[in-house]
Amino acid sequence: MSPRRTGLGELERAVMEALWDAPTDTSGAAGWMTVREVHGVLSAKREIAYTTVMTVLDRLTRKDLVRREREGRAYRYRPADDRGAMTAEAMRGALDQVASSDRTAALVAFVGEASDADRAALREALARLE
Amino acid sequence: MTTLLLALLAVALAGPVPWLLARTPALRFTPRAAMVLWQSVALAAVLAALGAGLALATTGLLAGKGNGDGKEWAGWYVVAGLALLLTLVVLGRLLLSAHLVGSRLRALRRRHRDLVDLLDEHPSDEWAGGRRSLRVVPGEVPMAYCLPGVGRARVVLSDAAYRGLGERERGAVLAHERAHLRARHDLVLEAFTTLRRAFPAVVSSQGALAEVGLLVEVLADRAARANYDTACVLRALEGMLDAPVPHATLGAGGELSARIEVLLDERDRRPQAVLLYAVSAAVLLLPTVLVVLPWLTSLRG
Repeated sequence: MSPRRTGLGELERAVMEALWDAPTDTSGAAGWMTVREVHGVLSAKREIAYTTVMTVLDRLTRKDLVRREREGRAYRYRPADDRGAMTAEAMRGALDQVASSDRTAALVAFVGEASDADRAALREALARLE
Repeated sequence: MTTLLLALLAVALAGPVPWLLARTPALRFTPRAAMVLWQSVALAAVLAALGAGLALATTGLLAGKGNGDGKEWAGWYVVAGLALLLTLVVLGRLLLSAHLVGSRLRALRRRHRDLVDLLDEHPSDEWAGGRRSLRVVPGEVPMAYCLPGVGRARVVLSDAAYRGLGERERGAVLAHERAHLRARHDLVLEAFTTLRRAFPAVVSSQGALAEVGLLVEVLADRAARANYDTACVLRALEGMLDAPVPHATLGAGGELSARIEVLLDERDRRPQAVLLYAVSAAVLLLPTVLVVLPWLTSLRG
């Protein structure tokens, strides 16, 4: 089941966007937001239940994409990392895989290391075929 | 006798045989048969090692039982016990390694799946039908990989790869990655990673993993070539190399050269494939028929 089909993935993205766009705190990191605040941002654009936002935030916390902290009787949330760092992580994992001889099969990259001899062989093969 | 034969077989299949296989590049021209051979050699090595331990244990037990002399009696039981212990250690190491490798891989993949689902910029209306597993994530470096998993497999392209490749070349890259997912190449790699983790001192386990890793690429290249054509796959490879590759090595040609060589190969390799399949079957069957069956019969008698 693709998350895109269920719509949950789309909701998770919307919640993450809201958290990423939260006003930064003094240290420059994205500030904490309560469920009510996230719900406020989202309901400006769509009809969404408060409990749904809570569920989605809970899912994101379990996925380690969001950090949660107790504030009084409620929880408040913020992104585990900014968007750039998460993008870098998604790509870095793949690059590490490519660069190391320790192929752990977590990801299978399309093409790994290429030496100069490899590149020359590729050019030569293409020249021969075209 | 049985013990000795099985032990010799185990040593041969764990050391010199994989060493030799890894140094026979011609095997790559029949990648499917070569893959079967690698798997049957690995399986036969494990079975022979376990079989040798069990054979020694039973020999010890039988000798202990059949002998009235007290000293001999105790000695044989010690041998049997040690053999059994060794067998259990080998088995335990394998199972532990499988568990560690498996859980680490699954955690890594889950994390990546969460990340690429979140970061996906792929317009969902494009390429409708069967394309739901594709994710396009921001990235300046052309990059393509797949995340295996039943029902939650993903093919991931970086934005640079998605935009930088022509439509047919992109199709070839996707066909390559989907071939990995369809054929569950990850399971083969996982098995060989497990072996290497369990027995890193067996130098051949590293070579085996590297060679099997190359074979799955060759197989996926072939799947792409079947849907497109050789030149298209080569252009796709070229497109993916466009950006500087980190840690690029200088010197002799590596994995990529080998893949190109196989892609260009047009010769009929069926005789070699048939031979390799026959050897694969023999590696598993002959020890069973010639060593294990007589041994079991002798036990009963």
